[in-house]
Amino acid sequence: MVMNIDIAKKVIKAAIKQAQEMDRLCSVAIVDDRGVLVALHRMDHAPIPTVDIARDKAWTASTFRMPSSDIGKFGDPSTPGFGFNTQNWNDRLTTIPGGLPIQDGDEVIGGVGVSGGTPEEDVTVCRAALATVFASN
Amino acid sequence: MKEITLEMAEKMLEAAERWAELSGFPSSIAVVDKAGAVIAIHRMDGAGPMTTDISINKAFTAVYSGAPTLMLARAIDPRMMGKTLGSGGLGLLTQAKLRLMFIPGGNPLRDEEMGVIGGIGCSGIPDGVGEISDTTAVQAGYAALYDEYD
Repeated sequence: MVMNIDIAKKVIKAAIKQAQEMDRLCSVAIVDDRGVLVALHRMDHAPIPTVDIARDKAWTASTFRMPSSDIGKFGDPSTPGFGFNTQNWNDRLTTIPGGLPIQDGDEVIGGVGVSGGTPEEDVTVCRAALATVFASN
Repeated sequence: MKEITLEMAEKMLEAAERWAELSGFPSSIAVVDKAGAVIAIHRMDGAGPMTTDISINKAFTAVYSGAPTLMLARAIDPRMMGKTLGSGGLGLLTQAKLRLMFIPGGNPLRDEEMGVIGGIGCSGIPDGVGEISDTTAVQAGYAALYDEYD
């Protein structure tokens, strides 16, 4: 399966529904397997910065093939790899939880990023959206 | 109508996408609010990675300048130098943290009092190839807004 605009719209719709149930105002971003934005919606009155934060989370989850919260482990000074977050090699990398890779089996086909609530709430929204859309697969 | 809602933005995207489809060139279309912040963006299947940020920046530029990006393209057109606008147009290039876009395809959205309430931008349809351009697609989005909510 390849990421396309129809899947992206479905995931966004499910995420926004979940956010409404939780009474949160969110932005939801979907990127493809290269980290390129496919669709992004910002709910009415959601704060402006959530747009870019959601996009950053989706980019991170998709390109690293792991939840954006896992990127934090590279910031542990006692492990190899420490310092890559100071390399200034891009401005999309984020360690804030709320970005999840979208998977078709083992293959990562994209990423979803949510911003608007607390990091835990954002992850809940992501999980709920992916569970709704990919439940049948 | 004072504010663009997500629902309105989706209606506009739908209309603009229909025209992009007609042109045969997949494109990205973005709707922004009066602050120039993205409300919704869709990148159609097959549209290049570059089109996402260009469409956002076109919509942003339309809001920021209050004019279609077609006008800004004219402002920095080398053929205009020393005539009506002079070389002052080049001063625009470095504004807004280099986010200003001087390519046609971004239009501001206005309310009844002609205040700017948002912008719409499209990127992906080459100019002058067919009868439909980026500007046509955003005008279709604009029209959908006013059909629905006037």
